[in-house]
Amino acid sequence: MASNWTERISAFCCSPSGFLSGTNPDAFLAELLRELRDDRASYGVKVLLLSPLCEYPTLLCSSESVGEETALDLMSVFTQCPPRSSQFRCHLLVALTSVLVCSSCVSNRSRASLDFIDLLLQICQDTSDLDGDGTQRCPRATACDCLCEIEASCPGLLSQRLELLAGLRQQETSWLHQAFAGLQILVLRNAVYQLTKQTGAGAAHLKALLDGNTSVAWEADQEAFHMVTKDSAIQSSLILGPMGRVPTLHTGPDCKELRSVLSSLLEESYLLTPLCQAALFRRLTEVVAMVPGIPPTIFRAQLLRLLGTNEVCLLHVTLMMKCAFTDSLFSAEDEAFLLKRLVVLSQHPLLSTPEKLFYMDCILHFPENRPINCGDSDEALPVLLTPQLASALLPTVFNDSATLLARLHLQALVFLEEGEEEGRGLAYIYDHLTALLHIVDRGGSRDIVVTFFRAAFLFLFYFQHVEGYSARLSEQLCQLYLQHTQLAPHILNLVDKTLERLPECNWALGLLQGLQRVISMAPLGQLTLRDLSCHLKVLARVAEEGKISQCSTLGFLSAVITQSSSLLCTSGDWRLGNGVLGVCRRVLLHPSLDSLLIPLADILQHLTCYYGDTDIQDHARLYYTLLTTLSREKLSVVLAQSAAEGGGQVKKRTLSCVMAESEGLTNILTVHHTEQPVFQLTEALSGLQQEMENLQLSQDEGDKALESYRAQFSESGFASQIMLKYHLTHTEPHDPRFEQIFSICLHFSLTDDHYEQLQDISVPCLFRQRPPPVVQLTLKPRRPYPTTIHVSAIFTSKDGLTWHTTMPDVHVEFQQAFLPLPVPLSWSRASRQDVFEGLWEEFCSEMGDCIISLFCCQLREAALKALVEKHFLPFLVSDLSQEDELRVLLFLPPRSHVLLKISSKEDATQFNMATDTRQLLPHMNSYLLTVTSSRDESVR
Amino acid sequence: MSLRALWIISNEKGQKASIRFSKRFSTVEHRARNLAGSSYVAVPEDSDFLQLLLTELGLSNSNKSYVADRDDCIYRPRSPAVELRLNGIGTLWPVLVLSQGPLILACLPLVDILSEPRPPLANLLSVSQGVTLLAGLQTFLLGSGVKLDSEGLASRVATLPSLLLQVCPLGTPLDTPLAGSHTASTVPTSTVAQKQPAWKTGVYRGRATVNVAVVETVRSMQYGNQSRQDLWDVYGTVTCKCEVEGALPNVTVTLSLPPNGSPLQDILVHPCVTSLDSSILTASSVDNADGSAFSGPYKFPFSPPLEPFRLCSYTSQVPVPPILGSYQLKEEENNLRVSVSLKLHESVRNSFEYCEAHLPFFNRNQMGVVDVKVSSGQVDVSKEKNLLVWGLGQKFPKSREVTLDGKISFTGSSLGPSDPLCTGLTAYIKLYLKVPDTTLSGCCVDQHSVQVYSSAKPRIVTSRELQSKEYFIWNSTGSAPMSSGQVMM
Repeated sequence: MASNWTERISAFCCSPSGFLSGTNPDAFLAELLRELRDDRASYGVKVLLLSPLCEYPTLLCSSESVGEETALDLMSVFTQCPPRSSQFRCHLLVALTSVLVCSSCVSNRSRASLDFIDLLLQICQDTSDLDGDGTQRCPRATACDCLCEIEASCPGLLSQRLELLAGLRQQETSWLHQAFAGLQILVLRNAVYQLTKQTGAGAAHLKALLDGNTSVAWEADQEAFHMVTKDSAIQSSLILGPMGRVPTLHTGPDCKELRSVLSSLLEESYLLTPLCQAALFRRLTEVVAMVPGIPPTIFRAQLLRLLGTNEVCLLHVTLMMKCAFTDSLFSAEDEAFLLKRLVVLSQHPLLSTPEKLFYMDCILHFPENRPINCGDSDEALPVLLTPQLASALLPTVFNDSATLLARLHLQALVFLEEGEEEGRGLAYIYDHLTALLHIVDRGGSRDIVVTFFRAAFLFLFYFQHVEGYSARLSEQLCQLYLQHTQLAPHILNLVDKTLERLPECNWALGLLQGLQRVISMAPLGQLTLRDLSCHLKVLARVAEEGKISQCSTLGFLSAVITQSSSLLCTSGDWRLGNGVLGVCRRVLLHPSLDSLLIPLADILQHLTCYYGDTDIQDHARLYYTLLTTLSREKLSVVLAQSAAEGGGQVKKRTLSCVMAESEGLTNILTVHHTEQPVFQLTEALSGLQQEMENLQLSQDEGDKALESYRAQFSESGFASQIMLKYHLTHTEPHDPRFEQIFSICLHFSLTDDHYEQLQDISVPCLFRQRPPPVVQLTLKPRRPYPTTIHVSAIFTSKDGLTWHTTMPDVHVEFQQAFLPLPVPLSWSRASRQDVFEGLWEEFCSEMGDCIISLFCCQLREAALKALVEKHFLPFLVSDLSQEDELRVLLFLPPRSHVLLKISSKEDATQFNMATDTRQLLPHMNSYLLTVTSSRDESVR
Repeated sequence: MSLRALWIISNEKGQKASIRFSKRFSTVEHRARNLAGSSYVAVPEDSDFLQLLLTELGLSNSNKSYVADRDDCIYRPRSPAVELRLNGIGTLWPVLVLSQGPLILACLPLVDILSEPRPPLANLLSVSQGVTLLAGLQTFLLGSGVKLDSEGLASRVATLPSLLLQVCPLGTPLDTPLAGSHTASTVPTSTVAQKQPAWKTGVYRGRATVNVAVVETVRSMQYGNQSRQDLWDVYGTVTCKCEVEGALPNVTVTLSLPPNGSPLQDILVHPCVTSLDSSILTASSVDNADGSAFSGPYKFPFSPPLEPFRLCSYTSQVPVPPILGSYQLKEEENNLRVSVSLKLHESVRNSFEYCEAHLPFFNRNQMGVVDVKVSSGQVDVSKEKNLLVWGLGQKFPKSREVTLDGKISFTGSSLGPSDPLCTGLTAYIKLYLKVPDTTLSGCCVDQHSVQVYSSAKPRIVTSRELQSKEYFIWNSTGSAPMSSGQVMM
């Protein structure tokens, strides 16, 4: 059983949605709670059982009331749990906190959540076995952490307990004081924040708060308190730099009490772990920022210790303090020191790469005492960061790629700031780029290739205007390309992105021209087919640029296809041919086509006559005809139209089908994806009821009813299917492109293994105006459980494009698997009743998977009748007019039965159930709950 | 200051990456939803997360040379906080990632600042806290060993739920796992008037012992070239193990330098150091060295934790590298002529624990005939036949200079390893050395300067050691890569 739970819990945690689609969340929750109460289960397993509740409480407790009940259950488990299993008790506290916070019980101050908070406070104060074996320690700490989390989720909840918490912290000498300190400062911070939001609140209120004297003034303002709590601003950080607005509490200089609390927390801060210290300092910073009566110099004594620290979070919180207090706490020397520290730390040999990168990020967001540029622009260099200082962070080829790019970025900003364009700094950066390029040239790894192109983009982004360097880079890239044509996609990506980000810059065009030049000048003898394929891609991109002359491109194409040693024409490679045609097609659209007419015509003619692939020949012939017969204007209209999206669908289809490598062809050959579902399956009413009415009940099987019923199952595939009928309808909102759709192929994929794989279903067409077609799903259950089926479809739209769409899931409910008793239609009612009796007796034995159960609810007689008529009529074995007991037989393929005897007792309606598949009971139960209990309270 | 979720992923070579452990902190997620409002992006399920993360880290589809999503040049992954672009739903940010060896650790800190565009990392304390926690978990999972033993890893992963209950029960990191679990406390502390530090799990009972070790590491890049300045630097760490009674005992360790030693720079201290003199922190390696700078003694008063810890670290600018080398290669017909000389500086103790020079050769066939003569030590050819190992033993000869000369032919049948940096005559020697009982900076801890405020007389052990790391001597006849930009400026 334990291993079973291990598997189930891990399946749940891997994919909660997938897991829950195969079962009912309520049923799963019930199972978890039952197992948790079970004394036989080990605590190891029970800890495991709590993890779904800790990690996904909202999936299991969908409403506040479910959360509340679950919490009550868990609390009863807690009270029954012996103190020595402290680990489990801790996990329980965490689970309880998760459930209560996430199901909004805490924010709504529900009964259970208030009880739970009392329980937590009680555990916190329980020092009974201080001298014992220390088992109480862990639950005490955890209880404190839980209170912290509750206060964080619902700020202000514990404001009234401030004095208690302060006392607990002060008395505690074991390491637990850390947990209390964290809790105290958080509650204090939230309480002060709330006071800042109250008009007229001042020193007296603050004093009352700290003394735990809650009777003063603010009781009256509970309403306002709730308002503040609901405001999410209180949960967010109050340290936003000089531009952020921090709410303030005007107390005057007299706030001795607060000052003494803060001092005592600061004094003991040293005793906290670095992580908790950092959190404490941040909260203290927030409090001091909100109360101008307390001077920031209160932190002064801690500062040196923090400035020298090797802990990233402590230095970080010091930076945040600087951000909040600027020169009221940090002198100009402190500032210079901190910045130097950050530079040192950004390249310290003993620190890890992520830490160094984080420090580098801190340099770019350095909180200056007197920032020059206002606003929170993304990244800015601190004034004090001179090129000299920054030179410690120049990139080298020994850096990993993230460090290299971060350093390059930083240096670019430094040199840009300095306006240093001819200086040594830029020269260094360029040399570095060249060094990377050489590594790529010598066969660097994929990572280095990607890093190089990113570095090149960064360089261009900042320094494309420095002609000397950008021209050289362009040249070097061309040479690199010639040696490594497989870099074509990287280079074209660089071209596209530079054009996109720097539209005014001509560099990318220059690079394209350079590529065109090196390609056309390279000796053809050494050209491999792989190189050629890359060249064609590059040339196609070059031909898209109207400003670049295409003469050399055509010269190259002509040479490639006509040279005697060329295998290209004789081999007749379709892809390469298409590549050549792709270039030609773009040239056809080129503004300087007039001057290219003859060489282009020659190429097309040569292809038409000699290319070894008929398809390519045909396309070339078409281009040739278009080129020689149409005027420029018409040509561009025809070609542009085929490329244009949407319009002229008839032309598009015919033209694009013959256009090699045109966008049209790609369009027609590609399966497009719809963003939204286009149509859906909606359940159609089944015709079961009518069929039942037309029955001729005459055939009597006598005593052997059950036997002959059973005999039917020897025939394979007998009664093994469920037919479900659905309408295929358009979804809203309506998309004019999909008004009429054709050749729809529906594909179903299961989310579990309860059913056999479904066949695809074809639907000839779907028009919005016409009645929806009916789709019949034939399900073959292995186990008749509820399930979810993913549905997708491929179809053709009116303009001839092929689309793939994901459709809304089809949920198969438990009751959809119900079938009437599968016996010949002619069987008499008596025979059916015999089968019922026989099965009932058998199931009552509770052998194997057979089980009986009872479900009760309160239903008036009329309501019961209506219910049976509505839900069970097709499955009724007895007569509806029969007063005392109604008998319902539900058959669930392939072999399961659920038998119901429904009778009205004086105070309740009883559903006696018997089934041969015990796993069906939870489903049946929740089904009965749904059908009976929209109004009525029901108990099992 | 909290984390929404945590993942531990193993990505071993030749195996499919998989999530070994994941944890969601539902209450923090609840806060994230409240804080972000309409811009809330939910955490995806594990399998989706894994796929997105691998793409972001450039680890997906490793067999394809170019994948637009992964390799776009406009995109610069801002490690350690990367973003995951969820299809059409939004962007998950900031996902902190630490990877070492086969293990990738990731977590998603809560963003508690409402701002559009996103706030800088520097404004989110949860980022440095997340990095600290992940680093702690990484050390815990991988141990100190370089190689991963999968069984050990599996058993440590299995203890994570109970470990997290201690260090991060509800998503707010409280401690790093290194400090151990808090259950180890054996001595009740209720009788102690003093508060016990939270980073100390118990109280030591027994004879007081203080162990202080100074280890200096020297790095160098030597080019043997007039136009290229040679580089070297030294950094040191002071590690302590203190067994002293009391909840909060006081210990002071003092570092001192020889009379004209250059000051210790970039000093970083452990959080257990109680107070610092501001003059200790002033010297910095990125400053122009100031002759009048404070040069000790450096006093570090602290209250020690139970486990061994790094009390402080420093860097130092020493005037000379311990070993000055020259390396010359010459291509001759079918041979490579090799000539090396190494000179030990007179100020360095001539007594090594080990000293080895490694001469690797890349982008060539395996070595055939190796005909080299050395003036001292002995030369071995590695099994793979692409590396010469010159063992120099424990001592340099009296002259303090050793040489290696000879010819190597690369006539082996199969190709040796390749390296994109070391092509042609670009080649290096890497030195591995360890010298006990010495430091380059001269920094030392005098036994008598260690003060322990306790009743019994403590036993005090101090030690010093010099070792090398990334100690390269480049062939001066070939081009060599630049290792630092600073000297160029």
